[in-house]
Amino acid sequence: MRRSSSKSSQGDRGKHQGGSGDNAYEQPHTSHERQESRTRRDSENPAEQAAGTTPMARPMDFKIYVDQACKAAEEFVNIYYETMDKRRQALTRLYLDKATLVWNGNVVTGLEALTKFFDMLPSSEFQVNMLDCQPVHEQATQAQATVLVVTSGTVKFDGNRQHYFNQNFLLTAQSTADNIVWKIASDCFRFQDWESS
Amino acid sequence: MERNRQDETLGSWFKIRIPFGIKYDEKWLLNLIQKQCSVPFTPVEFHYEKMQAQFFVENANIAFALKNVNGKIYNEANERISIFVDPCDAPHSVLKELRSEKVEQIKLPVKEQYDASQQSLDIQRVRSDPDLMTPDTGMARNPRNDMATSLQIHPGNMPKVKSAGEMDKGERLEPEGMCADRNPLCTTFPDMSTNISSILELFPKLLTLDDQETSALAKCGIEACKRLPTCKGSYFGSDELKSLVLQFLKQYYLIHDYGDRQVLAGAYHEEACFSLTIPFHPEDPAPSSLCEYFKDSRNMKKLKDPHLRVQLLKHTKRVIVHTLCVLPKTQHDFSSFVVDTWFQTETMLCFSVSGVFKEVEGSSQGCVRAFTRTFIATPAGYASLCILNDELFVRDADPSETQSVFFIPLSAPTSSSMHPLSQQQQDIMQASSTPSEMNR
Repeated sequence: MRRSSSKSSQGDRGKHQGGSGDNAYEQPHTSHERQESRTRRDSENPAEQAAGTTPMARPMDFKIYVDQACKAAEEFVNIYYETMDKRRQALTRLYLDKATLVWNGNVVTGLEALTKFFDMLPSSEFQVNMLDCQPVHEQATQAQATVLVVTSGTVKFDGNRQHYFNQNFLLTAQSTADNIVWKIASDCFRFQDWESS
Repeated sequence: MERNRQDETLGSWFKIRIPFGIKYDEKWLLNLIQKQCSVPFTPVEFHYEKMQAQFFVENANIAFALKNVNGKIYNEANERISIFVDPCDAPHSVLKELRSEKVEQIKLPVKEQYDASQQSLDIQRVRSDPDLMTPDTGMARNPRNDMATSLQIHPGNMPKVKSAGEMDKGERLEPEGMCADRNPLCTTFPDMSTNISSILELFPKLLTLDDQETSALAKCGIEACKRLPTCKGSYFGSDELKSLVLQFLKQYYLIHDYGDRQVLAGAYHEEACFSLTIPFHPEDPAPSSLCEYFKDSRNMKKLKDPHLRVQLLKHTKRVIVHTLCVLPKTQHDFSSFVVDTWFQTETMLCFSVSGVFKEVEGSSQGCVRAFTRTFIATPAGYASLCILNDELFVRDADPSETQSVFFIPLSAPTSSSMHPLSQQQQDIMQASSTPSEMNR
């Protein structure tokens, strides 16, 4: 595995996807150094650190998983909210068969129930102003590639006032011959002001 | 007579149709509908017609409420039961009871207009029929009303607009069909001509022009009739999970707010991830509030550099704890917490907590923030959790959110998944133990 020269080589076991059981990722020395330099240069631009002023001990695997997670999250979120707003009837294609949704405390389980649920929701207009994602550690997912996606923004459902919302997704990779398709294993949605809705 | 609100005795009638209703027992079905229906209704002339169950209701508000039940009721096989609502003439039995005399009087001339050979009702002839036009029957001179009224007062002549046939399961028809094939009420009267059919296709719209009650119903498209589900409080899935998650959160925030955040290291997996975001508003890309969170914000709506995206994802326990240690000092309001435990497997628990906190130090001292924090954890030892993924979203609190009473109820944790509590922490807990209000 190639490494950039500014980074020190450490174990290349990626712990965030499909690695084997043993914990090879242990660099106490390096981490300690990093911690110290961070303490000294708190307000420093992280990009400077990345440029090599601090020996970052990140396995390449981890960077790849993060990149993959970011790519999946961004593409997915664009598709999801567009489908929700403009092609609602196709929305459940983005969910696994046994997917669950917790919508303002209401639980909806399985594709059939999800179909009915989304059919019943008024038409929507979403505006997303926050997106974040993380690759989920394999210890939780049993080596099933999974991404946590977190969004926030505003939504207007027809006939209702505008709400701020927060939403989380767990996306699971489904591999086909040509590519990876990410589908929603679980979805949690809440108005920020649900009590007064 | 004019069919409008002036005619109290006839009222506004609506036909309620349930496709495949023949499968269901009348009482069971009506009970089920009534449970979901926001107003009580009295079904009139409940009957089965081909595969449908049908009945009438009098009153547009009731019809409207029944229309809203569509899609909200399920049979025992958990299949959705549809309900269709269409304006219609008063049912036969009602008319017979109320207006028997008048109906007969008016029915007769129309019958005479009927041209058997053409199987059509000559509208022109109806209109010019002096009997129909006499003030006795109360018919207005408005020809449109004539057509409408002459048709409506013949329940037995409920014309066939088109063969309604059977709807495909799950398919939704526009409210057009008024009379299914071989409607028992229609048996004695053959098809009407297409010109009447086309008028009747417009029937709901004719009514809306005349009757404001029904126009509200007709104008209410499928979209506007949809309602948002009722919003509920915290969701835990089970009491055990509730207990586990609340215990975890109490311990976490107790240490986070009053203790040394280094202690939180005990809560994280060696290779955990943490990231923090603040909202991104293009019109205000660098807000002066939330400045202490700004440099760490990994909001991908704003942050496009893939390299930075990796850097700002704090990876490993040590990096995370260090990051937490330099974030502003806070006081979280437990009474504001809403928790959703939204996914669970044997090895993974995903839960999100939303609420408010106050900054208690530094340049933003006194500022109230709202947050949503999502944890993905794995079981670790007895009744404790080990955090694998942690995502924190911070925004400024709305004025309405800052008005809530700000106190931190605490209770002693029964098990410690982190470091044993210091004397200071124990003192704090003892001093401010009040019942938890997290059971919303």
